[in-house]
Amino acid sequence: MLSRTADNLYWLSRYVERAEFLARILEATQRLTTLPLTYVGTSNEWESAVATAGCASAFFSVYHEANEKNVTDFLAFSTTNQTSIRGCFELARSNARAVRTALTVEMWDAINGTWLELKRYGNGPNSREEFSRFLRWVQESSLRYDGSAYRTMLRNDAYWFSRIGVYVERADNTARILDVKYHLLLPEKERVGGPLDYFQWAAILRSVSALTAYHWVYRDSLKPWLVADLLILKDEMPRSLAACYEAIVRNLEALAGLYGRQGPAQRQARGIRTRLQNSRMDGIFQRGLHEFIGEFIAENNRLGSTISEQFLR
Amino acid sequence: MRIRVSHTTRYCYDTPPASVTQILRLTPRNHDGQYVVGWRIELSEDCLLHKHEDAFGNITHSFTAEGPYNELSIAVDGEVETHDTNSVVRGAVERFPPNLFLRDTALTQPDAAIIDLANSARGSEGGKTLPLLHTLTTVLNREIIFDSDPTHTATTAAEAFRLRRGVCQDLTHIFIAAARHLNIPTRYVGGHFYRADGVTAQDAGHAWAESYVEHLGWVGFDPANGIGTTQAHVRVSVGLDYLGAAPVRGVHYGGGSETLKVAVQVDQADRQTQS
Repeated sequence: MLSRTADNLYWLSRYVERAEFLARILEATQRLTTLPLTYVGTSNEWESAVATAGCASAFFSVYHEANEKNVTDFLAFSTTNQTSIRGCFELARSNARAVRTALTVEMWDAINGTWLELKRYGNGPNSREEFSRFLRWVQESSLRYDGSAYRTMLRNDAYWFSRIGVYVERADNTARILDVKYHLLLPEKERVGGPLDYFQWAAILRSVSALTAYHWVYRDSLKPWLVADLLILKDEMPRSLAACYEAIVRNLEALAGLYGRQGPAQRQARGIRTRLQNSRMDGIFQRGLHEFIGEFIAENNRLGSTISEQFLR
Repeated sequence: MRIRVSHTTRYCYDTPPASVTQILRLTPRNHDGQYVVGWRIELSEDCLLHKHEDAFGNITHSFTAEGPYNELSIAVDGEVETHDTNSVVRGAVERFPPNLFLRDTALTQPDAAIIDLANSARGSEGGKTLPLLHTLTTVLNREIIFDSDPTHTATTAAEAFRLRRGVCQDLTHIFIAAARHLNIPTRYVGGHFYRADGVTAQDAGHAWAESYVEHLGWVGFDPANGIGTTQAHVRVSVGLDYLGAAPVRGVHYGGGSETLKVAVQVDQADRQTQS
């Protein structure tokens, strides 16, 4: 397989996954802002949404204020922001077009259909309700792409590269979502573990479809360290960092098996997986959750560049 | 290096027991120099295999198999990817501060002879920890003849040193006793060793020691081979001594005496090259 083809497949999956993540952040932020302002006091949810998406500096070079209109526009429909939801779908589609023959009909239909339908939304919806529908649609589009890849692709290097793209992006996204809580300010009069704190954690879990899973696993009220445990260390939680890395290692192994050689990407991924396996929550909290997440995101990015270097150039 | 390990432990009973309960420490964990690609334990009897973790962080499996039967076998099959870390073990599960591993046990009690050995090793290296441990490894490898006849699983370090004979387990116990006497935290490691000479069938697993060196962390020493640990070592369990890290411990209810046979196969699964 040409490295260019592998590159397109890898980024195709990453962009679709990222579009879904942006929709999830926006949905969570919308939910957070539904609390009455008198109850919350000052709020910075929209600012935290931009910070979580990792494009705060790009945002503030265009806008002065992080409010609902600016942020939804920037993260969902902007053309100046290359990785807005629209940007992601456009990039995904152009990647897909370049490797049309490596995709199944179902995958192409999913991605091309999404791109065509995107035009229907124009430069943004007119109401909050319509915007919510848009966010659901983005997530369903990603599900359709993911599902068609899973069900129809031949299990060879094309499939593995596209899976690695999904999981590298997803690991990054889960880590970032968990970090939202760090960026969200808890007003001074609110106590940690109080109702607002609770509401914020619930919104985070909901944004990764894990609120029910949380109650299944822990049978307990929402506790920060348990939420972190679920999203970082739990193998059985499909979006957790541990589960993502399990999948990355497995797919990289499959590539190594096929090509008969392995390199730094395999070793690096195994190293991260090992560290996640051998960590415990109390240790992570002692060092600071925000610091841990920061390190993880940096490490995940490094793996991304190692993969590029080893396979995609 | 990709190492394939498969071994079978077979118990034969004169009179079938009513039931057998065992705890297994047969499953390796990942650390910086080692990644478990796949690992499977299979029992010859139908029973529940419970997975736990012991205090040291070793993965344990426990089971109770209801009898009667004349034979019980535990088969393990797995593949591990290793790479060389200059004997330093990083990123492993650490549940205790290193100083815990200064504790003496019945099997690692030093006698006068071992204390002499330790002191002379310290004397020759001017008290520097790392060279001292290397000297100890070399000396033990030279002085003690590898012989599986005179010693058994309950042989203490002092007894084996008196005989000047023993297996990897005995050499490791002597090493531990000497190092702990010099106030260096040291632990027992059970695992497997891929032999470069092409002998893949072995009678037992392997054993070596890890010592805690300031500013470096845990470092592996293999007195049976006279070397620091390499990528040929697959690290499975740790403990204060053999009993703490033992691959299989258990009891049987009813029945007569048992005989035990172990066959280990450690081979390189060389379907890949490193780039």
